[in-house]
Amino acid sequence: MAAPDSPSTALRRRDLCSRGIRLAGKMRADVVDLLDTYVEQQGLDASASVAAVEGVPLAAVERWDEQTGTQRLLENLAAYRAFRALLAQMLEEQREQLGEADAGLGRALAAVLLQVSAFAYHLEELLRLESRGVPSEEEDGPPPLPRLSLFEQKLRGLGVLRELAQWAVRSARDLRQLAKPSPATGTGPGLAESP
Amino acid sequence: PQNLKCLTHNLHKMVCTWDFSSRGRRRQTDFCYTTNDLTPQVCFKTKERRAEIPVPESSITVTIKTPGTAFATKEFTIHQKDISFVPVTPHILSLTPGFPTSTLNLKWSDNGSVFPYGLDALWQIQILRKEAMEEVTQVAYYSKLTHEDVILSWNWTSDIPLECTSHYVKIRCYINATQFVGPKDWSDWSPAEVIPGKDTEPGGSGVFPLDAVVAVGSDVTFCCVHEEDQRITNMTYGSKSYTMMQLSSRSHAIRVLNASASNSSGTNVVCRLENGMDGSVVFVGYAPDTPQNLSCETSNFLIIKCTWKPGRPSGLYGARRTKYSLFERISSKNVSCEVNEMNRDRVCGFPVLPDQKTYDFILGVSNPIGQAQSSLLVDITQRVHPKTPEKLTVTGNNSTSIQLRWFINGSFTGIRLLCQIEIVSGHSEKKLHNVSMPGGKSSSYTAQLNGLHPNTKYQFSVRCSAADHFWRWSDWSRGLEQTTSEAPPS
Repeated sequence: MAAPDSPSTALRRRDLCSRGIRLAGKMRADVVDLLDTYVEQQGLDASASVAAVEGVPLAAVERWDEQTGTQRLLENLAAYRAFRALLAQMLEEQREQLGEADAGLGRALAAVLLQVSAFAYHLEELLRLESRGVPSEEEDGPPPLPRLSLFEQKLRGLGVLRELAQWAVRSARDLRQLAKPSPATGTGPGLAESP
Repeated sequence: PQNLKCLTHNLHKMVCTWDFSSRGRRRQTDFCYTTNDLTPQVCFKTKERRAEIPVPESSITVTIKTPGTAFATKEFTIHQKDISFVPVTPHILSLTPGFPTSTLNLKWSDNGSVFPYGLDALWQIQILRKEAMEEVTQVAYYSKLTHEDVILSWNWTSDIPLECTSHYVKIRCYINATQFVGPKDWSDWSPAEVIPGKDTEPGGSGVFPLDAVVAVGSDVTFCCVHEEDQRITNMTYGSKSYTMMQLSSRSHAIRVLNASASNSSGTNVVCRLENGMDGSVVFVGYAPDTPQNLSCETSNFLIIKCTWKPGRPSGLYGARRTKYSLFERISSKNVSCEVNEMNRDRVCGFPVLPDQKTYDFILGVSNPIGQAQSSLLVDITQRVHPKTPEKLTVTGNNSTSIQLRWFINGSFTGIRLLCQIEIVSGHSEKKLHNVSMPGGKSSSYTAQLNGLHPNTKYQFSVRCSAADHFWRWSDWSRGLEQTTSEAPPS
């Protein structure tokens, strides 16, 4: 049984969690806006169903309630690292395909990429708070993405943004779960324990 | 022996065939021929009912003897007019697909070495398509036989992507041997060469053409290749659904007429299947316009700056954008230009070359749809547009004269400069004073202004240009205020 947090650690965690929740909320709003722009600019059908895209982490999770705090953070971190690589690829493809045209979409993509990077760093801070080793990038670095046709690139982009929007919701829920004080001591439990 | 028929493939030799009035087992036959009274008869034995003998200039007499049967001997006189001339069936050497451009390249030998010099040959090339090998087109191709085997090459652009369904090519030949008086006919068709479509490949699927670039106004066929058991619900181009044509059991197509310009990310062509979706993107744009108002100048004799008006935007961006290059014919130097598609001004820099005054520029413009060019012959010493003079300062001052100095970035050692000084005095009286001097290399220049009024505030500004062969003034320098000193007591 891990020793409960010191008051300062619990306070620090709650602060990080609440800032993380706000960041996730902002990210979700921006991703939803970006999705609308992306669908229109890429000439896609907003209702198009996109099969699971290789390399895109799924937000849906079974037995969400049973996850430990560490599992939540590690899964979140792996997901946002993957999104960081996916968004960077999208940005590169965007520049390659469109050059200077539609710079607006490029800027919006870059802005979301920045937020995803910031959120990943935020998750690393939470893990460091618990003196949990932060997995190095190679451990769960994303596999190289296959070269796709332009239409497949468009669909993948759609899939990435949709899933990222879902992850932002899940992350906020995960962080709320982490921020909950432990009923016994009134301070936050060690990450390993928190369901 | 009866029904003797002779046919030649090469106007030299002919194959004669015959049959026998009564049936029976194959007999040994004596076959003799003579072309005219002067040449001895040639005989040989054969069990075949065919023999290869020379094509006569006018006629040939053939005697076929079959020992041991009634009516054993039969003599035939064959005139050239009785001999049919049918060229050998052509042989396709290669059929090469160009998938990105939907082109087929056909290569075959004209087999000219077997014919005398200078015969006209007519080829028919037949293109067939789909599983049912429906004829798409039949094209005539003319060539001249030169008594050598020449490899002929021919290109054809399909109106549908080659991936959509299998394409077959056959070829046959007719030789217009005017000196030959016998009946002439087409050769047989060659065996068909095939370029298999994706709809014949196990697992082959997708929408084609894949990520193509086409000109505005084009008629384009898109196809969706799918698995045998998959059913297509619809095919859309942009937001519009189109009536589908079936090419094969695994390939359906739509035909888009007069395609309009696509937006920067291209127009999506989507094939919706029962359990999924496939798609492609097509970029519909314009070939580059011929660049207008090409003009080149130098501000420093280090770089030549060329500018032009691009004309109508191509509508193509990124990897498909219009690219520009500046080629200089005298030095054969080529420079590719970095151009921002979004801003209207087009600029390209070319280095001033040692000991070269005249430049014969060709501005080449190209994108995946087409290309254009403009040219300009220019003597760069007659296209000097100096940079704005800087650091205008007063270096000498008395009651009636002022000495000014300024700096111009650039190397003008080969020319004379003409500078104009604007003198504005307090009474808003404006005068222009011209001064010329030898050009220097990134150096300062001075001028003495006399005849000024004592104790008077003046505003000076300077601009410069080439003294010989004026092209353009530089911009005015920043203004400088100076008051002349008081006149000495007289």
